[in-house]
Amino acid sequence: MLSLGTVPAWAVLGQYESSVSVDQQYLRSEDRVQAFQAYKVHQLTTANGTIVREYISPQGLVFGVTWQGPFMPNMQQLLGSYVTNLQTASAAQTHVRHLRGLTVKTNDFVFVNGGHMRFWKGSAYVPSLFPSNVSAEVVR
Amino acid sequence: MTLRNDSKATLGRFLALVTGLIFLGGCGGSSSSSSSTSTPAASNTAAVTVGFGPLGAAGGIVNGIYTSVTVCAPGTSNCETVDNVLVDTGSAGLRILNSALTTVPASSLRTITDSSGDQLQECVQYGDTSYSWGPMLVADVELAGEKASSVPIQVIGDNSFAVPSQCLATPVNPSLPNGGNEDTEASLGANGILGVGAFGYPLDCGSYCTSSSDLTQSGYPYYVCPAGQVCSATTVPVQDQATNPVAAFSSADNNGVLVTLPSIPALGAANGTVSGSLIFGIGTQTNNALASSATVYALDEYGNLPAFTYNGVSYTSPTNFSVLDTGSGALLFLDANTLASSGISECADASGFYCPTNTVPFTVTVSGAINTSETGTMTFNIMNADTLFNTNNAAFNDLGGDSGTSPANDFFDIGLPFFFGRSVYVGMMPGVFTGETAAPSAATSATYGYYAF
Repeated sequence: MLSLGTVPAWAVLGQYESSVSVDQQYLRSEDRVQAFQAYKVHQLTTANGTIVREYISPQGLVFGVTWQGPFMPNMQQLLGSYVTNLQTASAAQTHVRHLRGLTVKTNDFVFVNGGHMRFWKGSAYVPSLFPSNVSAEVVR
Repeated sequence: MTLRNDSKATLGRFLALVTGLIFLGGCGGSSSSSSSTSTPAASNTAAVTVGFGPLGAAGGIVNGIYTSVTVCAPGTSNCETVDNVLVDTGSAGLRILNSALTTVPASSLRTITDSSGDQLQECVQYGDTSYSWGPMLVADVELAGEKASSVPIQVIGDNSFAVPSQCLATPVNPSLPNGGNEDTEASLGANGILGVGAFGYPLDCGSYCTSSSDLTQSGYPYYVCPAGQVCSATTVPVQDQATNPVAAFSSADNNGVLVTLPSIPALGAANGTVSGSLIFGIGTQTNNALASSATVYALDEYGNLPAFTYNGVSYTSPTNFSVLDTGSGALLFLDANTLASSGISECADASGFYCPTNTVPFTVTVSGAINTSETGTMTFNIMNADTLFNTNNAAFNDLGGDSGTSPANDFFDIGLPFFFGRSVYVGMMPGVFTGETAAPSAATSATYGYYAF
């Protein structure tokens, strides 16, 4: 049985772009870079169709990430220190189960995850790291 | 890896009709039965109740829909009925808390092992990044008068292995009971989850877990844990994956379910006052005929409703997906910014729910995947969530909240509020099992399953 013993790493929200190439290596994924006027996007696609997009500011910081695929990504690695924001916010969301998804909206951290078995999709971003004149909706 | 499951009968009814499914087990032989019309009709109605569930009002979870499930040591009459099992049309497979199995303990169920004798374990992740971890075991499952032989189920919490970091890709939440591991009644708010979803085949992983190419994926569900080693991801043949027990029924009532719940007042209904039915089979008995008034909506390849339209804007899967989901207690529909012009605003406590000043009526157009006849409207109200919670009621048909933050990431999790006062059919993808009853004629093209209401 094949066992690599490693967990695929992803670029970390709020940190520098250099982590992207490490991600590509771990994921054995195709890295397609799209450059826009105010930011650029690395799109990593794995063999099973999982797509991770990493949005990079002119300063080289990851200001947003999105994911879509049959399994959920590693939030710890994807979100870095912002995991704490996710934990705090999700603990406050009571009254119903959140088996299918969770939305977190705070001033400095936004997180949306939703889906079901074999289909998960979501995004996270840090508003304060957005390049000027770039809408939050570009992270999609 | 080949896993061993020592029953000839174990889900030998699987057909290899789903592209990509791989058969590694030596199963086959005595198929459970064919759906002969001479078989007496089984009692196909399980009672469901809606409310706070086993935690009561103190648990604070509203709009849970629960039924009882009987679990038996395979091939025996050694059975135990577990109550307060959440009925979930948004997942596949039966998961029971280890603590809920007392007279028929997990040790009396059959293990699924690899060639080294190591047991198959599963880590299932939920949308809020919590998870359940425990072994896959084989049981006979009974629901109302229906029986499914040798069904792989997950027994949550019946192991002492550390959760693999690969699965625990999601953050443990230190402020939740047991850190986000949904392995107790207190954390899950139920004694188990009965996944009777429509999407795709009646399995929780399907072809994604039969190929070694996905073993390194974060969030992968299946593992073995050799002594003294960390757990490692493993491929699992489809017949050993968690399976919707309905699909494995020996009767003809194995092609889907029908959920019926009564109407309730706008301010909700008290705990213990709302009961309904989970009816097995679609078009197989007089009580589950596909109503001529119902519209069929075929799902897409992702297991989603392909599109919904509100206020002239069309939202399409996979970007903006939608599912009919009894496992969710609210209508998670678009977001408060997008709906501001409709009168929606968020509650002041940032709970994620909507607190409009006045009740807002919605009409949403829904589209299926096959043709234009699969279009209909869905109507519901959203009332102020704080007002609803202040009633101390336990069932609400008008509780709503954010699904996302903008049309770039919004979705529509059509939760339990939609199901009150309706009959909702959740039909499985045809052609996965032998002996499987075909979908009604209106739904035979629904390759990936369907909803009808």
